[in-house]
Amino acid sequence: MPRLPPSLFWRARKQISPFAPLLLPVCRTLDSTANELRWIKQHVNSTKSLVPRRLRIWQACLKRGDRGMPLQYVLGTQPFGPLEILCRPGVLIPRPETESLIYHLHSILPRHSSQPLKILDLCTGTGCIPLLLSSLLPASTKISGVDISPQAISLSRENLTHNITLSHLPASASKSINFTKADIFSPGFVPSLGYKPGELDILVSNPPYISSHGFNTTTERSVRLFEPKLALVPQVTAEQYDCEPEDVFYARLLEIISVLQPKRVLFEVGDLDQAARVAAMVVRGKGALEVYAQAVEIWRDEPGVDSHEEGVTEKMGVDEEAEVEIKGQGNGRGVYFWRRDDQESE
Amino acid sequence: MSAAPWVCRSCVRSLRRIGFAQQFVRRASTDSVKLPPALLERARFLTAEHDQLSAQLATNFDEKIAKRAGEVHRIADAFKKFENAKASLQELEGLLKSDDAEMRELAQDDLAATHDQLAESSRNLSVALTPKHPFADMPCLIEVVPGPGGTEGRFFADTVFKMYQAYCTNKGFRTKVVQYLAADSTGEKGGDGETALQEAVLEVMEEGAYAHFRGEAGMHRVQRVPATEKSGRTHTSAVAVWVLPSFAENATASDGDWDNPESDFYIDPAEVKSEKMRASGAGGQHVNKTESAIRLTHIPTGITVSMQDSRSQHTNRADAWRLLRSRIAQKRREAREEAARALRSSVLSSAQLTRGDKIRTYNYGQDRCTDHRAGLDVHNLPDVLRGGDTLGKVINAVHGWLTEKDIQALLADEEAAAAAANAPPKGRKGK
Ligand SMILES: C[S@@+](CC[C@H](N)C(=O)[O-])C[C@H]1O[C@@H](n2cnc3c(N)ncnc32)[C@H](O)[C@@H]1O
Repeated sequence: MPRLPPSLFWRARKQISPFAPLLLPVCRTLDSTANELRWIKQHVNSTKSLVPRRLRIWQACLKRGDRGMPLQYVLGTQPFGPLEILCRPGVLIPRPETESLIYHLHSILPRHSSQPLKILDLCTGTGCIPLLLSSLLPASTKISGVDISPQAISLSRENLTHNITLSHLPASASKSINFTKADIFSPGFVPSLGYKPGELDILVSNPPYISSHGFNTTTERSVRLFEPKLALVPQVTAEQYDCEPEDVFYARLLEIISVLQPKRVLFEVGDLDQAARVAAMVVRGKGALEVYAQAVEIWRDEPGVDSHEEGVTEKMGVDEEAEVEIKGQGNGRGVYFWRRDDQESE
Repeated sequence: MSAAPWVCRSCVRSLRRIGFAQQFVRRASTDSVKLPPALLERARFLTAEHDQLSAQLATNFDEKIAKRAGEVHRIADAFKKFENAKASLQELEGLLKSDDAEMRELAQDDLAATHDQLAESSRNLSVALTPKHPFADMPCLIEVVPGPGGTEGRFFADTVFKMYQAYCTNKGFRTKVVQYLAADSTGEKGGDGETALQEAVLEVMEEGAYAHFRGEAGMHRVQRVPATEKSGRTHTSAVAVWVLPSFAENATASDGDWDNPESDFYIDPAEVKSEKMRASGAGGQHVNKTESAIRLTHIPTGITVSMQDSRSQHTNRADAWRLLRSRIAQKRREAREEAARALRSSVLSSAQLTRGDKIRTYNYGQDRCTDHRAGLDVHNLPDVLRGGDTLGKVINAVHGWLTEKDIQALLADEEAAAAAANAPPKGRKGK
């Protein structure tokens, strides 16, 4: 990254605040520095402490600027839709791309579902996906989140009560949402969930999807240094699955799907190449997966925003024979597929 | 009621949509408004409608009918009082010709009072007939942008912004800072800790805030010695204030339903380009930057809005949509007003609030604030800038002025229409 010109530092100091030069190295621009400083001040003003205000602002700026700690860990929260998600080192910070995918998923669900929906989120982290879906769907919706990390599970439960306390979720959410600690690769995992085949309406997952190489070359410094690698790079060998190491979670998720046969599935993925590989796995799926083969889409960051002239659809060959539609704008971000034999999802 | 093509579209639309109630207390005025026949004709027509609706309601209650009756009630009421006053006067005039001397004397005694009554009731009627601005009941967004030129305008923009913020606090109006962007081209601070402002938007979340603040739209001029000026010369600079109608976040569908293509606030989502201004790159799990700025572009008009104030992309997007809707609604409204203005006499056109007009001067040296439209001078500038009662006085004077202009515009519309129709008013009303 190019060095910032010294003039920017004195401008930050004169124009924004004496604290601003502390943030400038991570924020890079004056606009962004002013924004983050404002958010830090808002946070400090809204929390009580015996420590003097200016000292707390200074401490926060130092954590953020000098050490490069993500602002979400410094402040302890990240907005996610209408919710406030608590964030702590050890658990991945929810991303805006995930938020957009979930909003789009919600927007395409049929309005008139007769039965309360059943939803499962694998690799749930802070629990942001179950909580957002719960805030968007009727209170009767049953949602489960699963994660291997004990820190993630306790944080996700805290997030549930936190958002009920803030009235972002109804009190009934404490009954309709639950979080369980489990390893999705463990042999007894699927039966332990207790779903009958075909009973599940939606399966969502934003699993670790970064390759070792990508982690060293593409992943931001602050992510590498402060967020858990377990949440980013698959820590499982791909030997028993015939796939790239960074795709191993999707291979396992498809095994789970072939048993549970959910009506709809949404995965978050890292880029368009990975989306194409995952879509190909679905298209080539054998046995119980065949019901999904004809109904696969790739979603970009903003799946709801058209990037083309009317009537033109973007398509991509993922297999010698199969083409899938690509929706929206931005990077390749999701793979969505649904059961062709299901009347309701048409 | 279908209007003949001459009728100012916006008036008819707004008359129909919002009704007629006029909130402001009229300033006492000496001469009575001479009501043009067309206006009287309309009052008579609406009064008849009102009576018919009331009769219907007496036998059979219906919400829609009740609503419409409520809308025209004020006019019917004012019209009846006006007719009464006219009848009284006629009666008196008859008595004045009476042979009975005592009778004549009695009539003479009552004459002055009855004339006053007629004058008052005709004013009230014209006020009742003046269309309420279609956005009048809505909350508003006050946008403050420095005029072209140096940093002085940017500093003063900050003061203007804070003036409105403080005024709202004093009045107990709920507000929200939707946008506050500091300019990043200079490193200086103005006097009194002013920040160089690039653009700021204050939302006043009260119903009726639009009516309260719409007169503030226009160029605000400042004359003072800038804090940075060493030679002590007085500078003149300007700040533009735009007042836009706003949707309360949980607005009900009734008033300005933005899903309704008829509404000024309607935007076809297909015509809006939405961009995330996140640094380009891999995104997703690779990046954890907080910023989630959103930029919306309305393709047909080229209007662009970007929002980055919140850590929440959800909030930024909602705020950006709201601002975009407000700007577009204002633009549509202005286009209609422009069309209406073309119908009126040129004398009136200077009264229109366009963004270029200089409406007010804040003179520090003379401790004075002048509103050029209301023709009002007040002293105690610090109290004005603190959003105190002195500013309230100015804003009230502008209300009076606006009402006056609204009535004149309506009368001018009627006259222009009558001239255009070139026919006696009776023949113009279709049914
Ligand atoms: C990329 S994070 C996603 C978190 C959250 N869903 C979100 O979107 O912010 C991946 C999560 O998968 C969890 N995880 C990793 N290996 C797992 C496994 N074998 N079984 C279940 N969860 C696992 C991690 O603890 C981490 O919380």
